[in-house]
Amino acid sequence: MSLNVLICDDSSFARKQMARALPEEWQVEVHFAGDGVEGVDAIREGKGDVVFLDLTMPNMDGYGVLETIRRDDLPAMVIVVSGDIQPDAQERVKKLGAMAFIKKPIDADKARSVLTEYGIMTGA
Amino acid sequence: MSAAAIINEDQRDCYQELTNVAMGQAADRLARLLNAYVVLPIPKISVIENSDLNMALQGATSDSSVSAVCQGFIGAGISGEAMLMFNDASFASLASLMKYSGPLTQAAELELLMDTASVLIGACIHGIGDQLEIVFNQGHPVVLGQHCGMADLVAYGNNGWDKALAIEIHYTIEHVNIECELLLLFTEESVRALNKKIDYLLD
Repeated sequence: MSLNVLICDDSSFARKQMARALPEEWQVEVHFAGDGVEGVDAIREGKGDVVFLDLTMPNMDGYGVLETIRRDDLPAMVIVVSGDIQPDAQERVKKLGAMAFIKKPIDADKARSVLTEYGIMTGA
Repeated sequence: MSAAAIINEDQRDCYQELTNVAMGQAADRLARLLNAYVVLPIPKISVIENSDLNMALQGATSDSSVSAVCQGFIGAGISGEAMLMFNDASFASLASLMKYSGPLTQAAELELLMDTASVLIGACIHGIGDQLEIVFNQGHPVVLGQHCGMADLVAYGNNGWDKALAIEIHYTIEHVNIECELLLLFTEESVRALNKKIDYLLD
């Protein structure tokens, strides 16, 4: 059974950029969500073992997703990928349970180093 | 009025994402300057006609009295105009966050306006430029007015264009009464050149 990766961002360009940044040899199933509400739904359906989460989104933002995951104890490892690079934003998402923070724009090196550092990508 | 005339939906989405990243970099600079948290909105990308500028600006700030700066920028066959508008009620908080002592005279407000504008406009323009591999050179900032009404600003912006791409970013600072609007305008001709760069990213 392969790992389910969810990319949650309101921009289709950003979702594509994120998907392209994932290591090629990483055997995962990639799913997409266009806002926080869709993201939470996908996580409940088991599509988000690992979640790449944007912060600024309509309907429900990334903070809302993190709060929901925590409140409902949903099984998701969250890596926030955001353009909001203020130190405060990074601190807040970590407090809300995010595992790591990647500054946008995303690229393959940043994605790989975080996945390796936190031991998410195995068997590589 | 239809945005489809000069940009398509994929391009609009891409402009929004590039802006998202650039405004985040600008907000980070401002946050460090003020030692406060800048609340980031979803930027608004639209195509406006000259006659709509009034409406765009009216929506920009809830206060009728504003102070504004504009600054042109140019690079790689693209030219644009950045306009930063402060709600006048913002200056008291801005002064206190910047540890500005002394009376808040018109000259003091002007200094606060120019300092903030140079940080926000510069970082945002370069943030967009970096992602598109364009080096933008900035012109001198020009004060459009202090404590003036929107009508005065609109009179300035009405020169020589019919249709433009407008990028609007509404910044607020958490816990204090500071509100400003950054508006970037690109005329049709520049949008054609920008679209080429955007299409390359979308490819």
